[in-house]
Amino acid sequence: MELNICHLYPDVLNLYGDNGNLLCLQQRLSWRGIGSTVTRLPIGETADFTKFDLFFIGGGQDFEQEVLLSDLSKGKAESIKSAIADGKVFLTVCGGYQMLGRSYTTWDGVTCDFIGAIDYETKGAKDRMIGNFAFQCGPESGGSAVVGFENHSGKTYLGPGVQPLGTVLSGSGNNGEDGTEGVRYLNVFGTYSHGPVLPKNPDFADAILKTALDRKSPGFALDPLDDALEHQAHDYMLKRLGL
Amino acid sequence: MNIRAFLGILVCRAVKLAAKILRRGGTAKPGELAAKVCPDLAQILAKDVRIIMVTGTNGKTTSSRIIEQGLLDSGADYFANRSGANLLSGVTTTLVENSTLFGKAKHQCAVIECDEAAFRTVAPLVQPEVILVTNLFRDQLDRYGEITHTLSNIRQGIRGVPDAVVCLNADCSLTASLAGDISNRCLFYGLGEALGGGEPPAVSDASHCIHCKAEYTYKYRTYGHLGHFVCPACGYERPGTDVTVTKLLSKDADSSTVVMEAGGLSRTVRVNLPAVYNIYNAAGSSAALMAFGMDPDRAMQCAENFQCGFGRMERFDLNGTVIRMILVKNPAGCNQVIEYLNGLNEAYLPVFLLNDNAADSRDISWIWDADYEKFAAAYQGEVVVSGIRADDMALRLKYAGIPAQKLTVERDYDALLDRVSHQDKPVFIIPTYTAMLDIRTRLAHRCGSAEFWE
Repeated sequence: MELNICHLYPDVLNLYGDNGNLLCLQQRLSWRGIGSTVTRLPIGETADFTKFDLFFIGGGQDFEQEVLLSDLSKGKAESIKSAIADGKVFLTVCGGYQMLGRSYTTWDGVTCDFIGAIDYETKGAKDRMIGNFAFQCGPESGGSAVVGFENHSGKTYLGPGVQPLGTVLSGSGNNGEDGTEGVRYLNVFGTYSHGPVLPKNPDFADAILKTALDRKSPGFALDPLDDALEHQAHDYMLKRLGL
Repeated sequence: MNIRAFLGILVCRAVKLAAKILRRGGTAKPGELAAKVCPDLAQILAKDVRIIMVTGTNGKTTSSRIIEQGLLDSGADYFANRSGANLLSGVTTTLVENSTLFGKAKHQCAVIECDEAAFRTVAPLVQPEVILVTNLFRDQLDRYGEITHTLSNIRQGIRGVPDAVVCLNADCSLTASLAGDISNRCLFYGLGEALGGGEPPAVSDASHCIHCKAEYTYKYRTYGHLGHFVCPACGYERPGTDVTVTKLLSKDADSSTVVMEAGGLSRTVRVNLPAVYNIYNAAGSSAALMAFGMDPDRAMQCAENFQCGFGRMERFDLNGTVIRMILVKNPAGCNQVIEYLNGLNEAYLPVFLLNDNAADSRDISWIWDADYEKFAAAYQGEVVVSGIRADDMALRLKYAGIPAQKLTVERDYDALLDRVSHQDKPVFIIPTYTAMLDIRTRLAHRCGSAEFWE
């Protein structure tokens, strides 16, 4: 068994340690004797999306957004859409999460179109939502309280019937208004959580892995790991947030 | 001097005195309150002082101290601020401390380290004669925002001081780009070859051209995004240098010996601090001193007599154990420390301290952008972690490949110092800023060593 992971835009979407998520996924597979490959797909490069099991898209700086949108328009947006519709697993964080939605409107009213794979939109706010935060995931996403660090000025609003990844326990989440955090659509896991989010949240990490492995081999069971350090770091933050 | 300035000075001194009586430190409050009484106090007090100002992401404090050493060696009459006092409030306090009650400067020159976000305001106020910009790396995104934002802050600051000579790191594409946007005379410094570096970093802080957004190519790399960058699309390229390190002759755990060239002169320089980033600090400091009027030969020697201190490769001897403290603040700096540790030819005990106070960065995700994998691949022994976010540090090292059973989490600093004081090998303590302040005080107390400089 081997998982083929695609790291989309590692050259521009690489802020806030989010690459640690890939490291976490790979290590948790390797500790269980499962192999994995990571294919980096930077701007200007294309690949056959059907050969990948799992996609990761991180967050980036506004500076590089133009380059990104122009590259997406050259076919990648369509490839991403069909991969999502095919039930491929996606973990997207912050900018990468916003990118799968319909659009982004800056606080002074300029709208740019995003991929539109899922029905949600993001509106820029003047104040950043920033700090440690936590949200409760449903059973299809590991069922645990996830802790992380959010740092975004975009407020994301999910379309009717679109499920969030979790409900906010502390902090802002999607928009600081409706108590939702992230998106959970087919096999897409979208979140504002940096940290990076996976290492400290092993249940969430394993839910993503399990979803991907299940597609390859239905009913695949993950061996348990010694997550003592992981839980220690997780519980420390929960406690600090008063949860 | 006007009456408001006089009142401002009085307030500043009174608050400082009160703080001293109450045995409370703090350099910010007095200046902050003084500036409320007299908003242009810093401007008034700095008027007759020749100032060298240092800003940039990494190497501010070390460069400031090397420049100080250069001024000291040349017999100049100067003062300097402490690294903890590098915002407007702290700079104001420092200026008050170094002037008479009537606002007359007590010294001719000053070396002022300035926070890169505060630089925009501080530089135009105090009108430095020389500005050194060391480099720009991603740092505390929660506080500074994106790197281009920091760059723009610095640009605006320099524009407010059109007569200053600006010394720029030619190898940093972000820093060097400032030259095109300002009218100031610029001096560039850099490394003329890779000097042992060369591999592209896992995450580059500036992979795409600042002007046209094409991806840079490199003739050689030194570390991080530094090196001889070339934009294949618009032609933006590392500028030629006025101070150049042309050759690395030797390096060890304590120093590097290099050949440095400036003003048509070439000389051997022993940089009395290890690691490549300190070669940059030495070259940048030399450039700043030259811009200040020192002759090139003398300016290039500024790092020779330099004593490291205050957490920057600072050395302590505790019951026979040699302890070195190396402050880390961001991925680029951290990677350099890992490079340095991996180059050691002896057994050692590493101690990583991670805090998440405002001065450290509340977001600790940067540790995942640093290349601890390289450390884990080269290091076999025990690792001790501590600090407010000790658990996260342990987790980072676990995923980097250090087996969990070799990781010791020791939260208590006194227990930690007990442990490190009974080692038969050198200890390297690698803390973030506030962790450094904390453990350094305890360590200095145990060693009975005086406070050098901050």
